[in-house]
Amino acid sequence: MIQTRALVKRYGTFTAVDGIDLHVRAGEIYGFLGPNGAGKTSTIMMLLGITRPTSGDVLLFGERYTSRRVHLRRRIGVVPEKHPRGVWPWMTAEDYLRFFAELFDVPRPQERIEALLKKVDLHTVRNTRIREFSRGMLQKLSFTRAILHDPDVLLLDEPISGLDPLGIQQVRDLIVSENREGRSIVISSHQLSEMERICHRVAIISRGRLLTEDTMEHLVARLFHEREIQVEVEQVPPGLAPLLEKLPSVLGCAVHENTLVITVPRQGDYRKPISEFLISRGLVPLRIQERMVSLEEAFVTITQENIGSLVNGGDRR
Amino acid sequence: MSDRTRAARIIAKKQVFEALIGPGFYVALAVGLLLGYFLVSAFARSVDSSGFNPRLHPLYDAIGRALEGAFGTAFVDGLFAEGPLPFAFAVSYLPVFLYLAVSSVFKFGLERNAGAVELVVYGPADGTSYLIACYLKDLFLSLLALVVILGFTLAAAGIFNDFAGPALFLTAVVAFFLSLALLAYGMFASMVTANAASSLALFLGIVLFFLIVLFGSFAIVGEYVRSLSTVVGNVVQWISPFYYGNLSLQANAAGDPLGLLAGLALLVCLSGAILAASHFIMQARGVRP
Repeated sequence: MIQTRALVKRYGTFTAVDGIDLHVRAGEIYGFLGPNGAGKTSTIMMLLGITRPTSGDVLLFGERYTSRRVHLRRRIGVVPEKHPRGVWPWMTAEDYLRFFAELFDVPRPQERIEALLKKVDLHTVRNTRIREFSRGMLQKLSFTRAILHDPDVLLLDEPISGLDPLGIQQVRDLIVSENREGRSIVISSHQLSEMERICHRVAIISRGRLLTEDTMEHLVARLFHEREIQVEVEQVPPGLAPLLEKLPSVLGCAVHENTLVITVPRQGDYRKPISEFLISRGLVPLRIQERMVSLEEAFVTITQENIGSLVNGGDRR
Repeated sequence: MSDRTRAARIIAKKQVFEALIGPGFYVALAVGLLLGYFLVSAFARSVDSSGFNPRLHPLYDAIGRALEGAFGTAFVDGLFAEGPLPFAFAVSYLPVFLYLAVSSVFKFGLERNAGAVELVVYGPADGTSYLIACYLKDLFLSLLALVVILGFTLAAAGIFNDFAGPALFLTAVVAFFLSLALLAYGMFASMVTANAASSLALFLGIVLFFLIVLFGSFAIVGEYVRSLSTVVGNVVQWISPFYYGNLSLQANAAGDPLGLLAGLALLVCLSGAILAASHFIMQARGVRP
């Protein structure tokens, strides 16, 4: 759907984007992640034709994109990070959508607007001026505008930034629902916990370079060869940790109050032998929890500690 | 119709609506009409058996003295040769034009900084569509204002028994073509600057500079001023809308209709060239501030 080839953007001597190759597939939710100043916005601006690449290509739907190929840009819906405030203060939500519907030549615009306003739960405020809208309402309106012309791809820039928990949940539900309807979605964000919940694949960019592009599962497999199992018991008897470490599958064990933190290889399910061992010692496991590596950890690992090893195919731990 | 043209038409329609629902346009128009009314009514009291005598009314006395002091009696006589209407018309249009130009330049900068231009560009429009839309809106509103002011001036002429001659209509035509080029400079100023305030400052600077150069060459207050303005004028006159406007008026005064048309055509060419330059700057810089 969207592909970049050796995309480079330079501002004077500063290289904002340094030879990025992205590939967004049809029907997926693709997270484009990176710390502030990593080059995310510069990349997105080039994808949208707002700025020109210094070198490299952008391919939209298999065609090489240039600013003259407006028909390609029409197939993308964009939700910018911030909705412009202070301009068009006279517009109601419906005026706003009607303007964009006319611009995009949406067939049967009134029907479409009404259906979408109901979908995002804004139909009760359709005649309210948008200057009176909260951040969350504006974000939903922006989302509605982006899908008004039924694009194939939705591109969202920090879609949940500044939203309250309810707003985050509503936007998340909208993203998932649009994806279920077959739309590919690209999300640029640094809200990693949210991205982890909804993205099928992620790309991590730092200092203008693409560090990795993969599914969460593969990403974790490449970065982490171990995982932790936390077992809560009533009381940890002295000397239990060294005994646990003697089990063939256990790589290490630490005790935190009444919780055993057991390190095991990433592959395989070790909960059963550990439970059996504890029971044989007269202990009752009150809670067994496998701690998954979060995207945040992967992100920190990749962007701060392990750039070199990742690029060279090395591993951590 | 191309995507760009279609988008420009839709954006222009929205912008015209936006301008017409606000009070600014009407306030500027009311101020202009009021000024015109004062000038026309005062003129009736500045005429005696020997003809127009500015000393008979304090308003014309002040205007006459100021203009005579700067440009000489011949300039003032020429200005009022066909009565007060062309001058009153021009003065009436001035606040409306200034409002339109200033608000347009300021608004473009504001919308670009707020991200509104970018929002439109995400769709089938591009920066050039937005630029054309702003320009079309300005032209439509200028034309509307000119028609209203012309109608009002003709009505005032009827009330005060003034002669509405060809000079009045010529003034209206030249004012429109002059507006084409000046509003194009407004767009240009918006393209080359980073924010609304600097766009406005640059636009006003450009207009003021061209005005100084033009009027400097007429000035009788000092030989040095006139010589300097003539020298500067010779260099910059090719890009000054006032130069071509003045050329058209001079050609008309000399009974040269082709010269008049050539002057107006050159104003259109100048406007096109400035807009083309603005387009290329927009393409190079993008719509982000």
